[in-house]
Amino acid sequence: MNEQSTAMHAPDLPELSAYLDGELDAGERGRVAIHLAACPTCAACLADLQALSAGFRALPEETLGFDLAGVIEGRLAAAPRPASARRRRDWWAGLPVAVGAAASIAAGVFMGSALVTGSVATAPRMAALHVFDTMPPGSLCIGLESCYAKGGVK
Amino acid sequence: MAGDAESELVARAQAGDHRAFAALVRQYQDRVFRFILRLTGTRDEAMDLTQETFMKAHQALPGWRPEAQFRTWLFRIAHNAALDVLRRRQHVEFVSFADLPAGAEEHALPDPARQPDERLADRQSVELLERTLRELPAEHREILLLRELEEMSYTEIAATLGIAEGTVKSRIARARSAALAGYQRHTGEHRDE
Repeated sequence: MNEQSTAMHAPDLPELSAYLDGELDAGERGRVAIHLAACPTCAACLADLQALSAGFRALPEETLGFDLAGVIEGRLAAAPRPASARRRRDWWAGLPVAVGAAASIAAGVFMGSALVTGSVATAPRMAALHVFDTMPPGSLCIGLESCYAKGGVK
Repeated sequence: MAGDAESELVARAQAGDHRAFAALVRQYQDRVFRFILRLTGTRDEAMDLTQETFMKAHQALPGWRPEAQFRTWLFRIAHNAALDVLRRRQHVEFVSFADLPAGAEEHALPDPARQPDERLADRQSVELLERTLRELPAEHREILLLRELEEMSYTEIAATLGIAEGTVKSRIARARSAALAGYQRHTGEHRDE
């Protein structure tokens, strides 16, 4: 659009439209403004574009008529969580259970191994076993040999 | 709603806060509905699609990034949902200026001889304007809705429709030209008539 060419010409509609929308940079805007001041054709075109724009903005504003937010909230609460979110939550939620299970297994293995390995499983030597001696506790010796033998067993 | 407050709501919704998402729905439900209604032309369908748009938005929330404007992102989902329906109805007609009948483009331009007080703004008829809008190809209709009703910038429109800003500029101009021509045709204002 050239300010010299104000004779009858086809208006540059994209330029005028962008001018109306405030989408031209300062230089372009100044150039178009100068041209508009001298060109009735383009000024008329811009006026029509402005009127059209005003007409669209004056159209009645339809509304949905109900609170969709409540409906959506209800649907979200009822719907299963998305797979990705579910995966993330399960990983964290399952962690204590997994740790507990591992600890239980480890404890079981430890106790089981303790039973089958030597030292811990060895029965303690107990004095009470002496009740099976030939001589009941508190009885008199029937002979020196048996008393010596008993003392030697200890 | 301020951008920061909105971003915080979206972030909370991303973290699973349904109330935060409900607040976003409340904020945008009528605007999304109006956009879809004017694109599809059917109230019941627009209501369903509005709901579907928000459900899809919720599903897509993990993909939202703070650098994206929520409104643009949401309208892109609404745009895709509406276009899917229009495609199914086979009502989408992408008509370029080059495809218009010879002389139509020239006729779409306004008549400079008319006085300003005779112009559309002073004699606007809502009904005729609604009709004009309905008759536009979907491609023109949606870009006018985003610009005139949503007052989106060219950058926002480009992001919403997934096109270049240069395309936005030329498409808006073509849409306005077609709308003017349609309106003048309905009112009998056309200079050749």
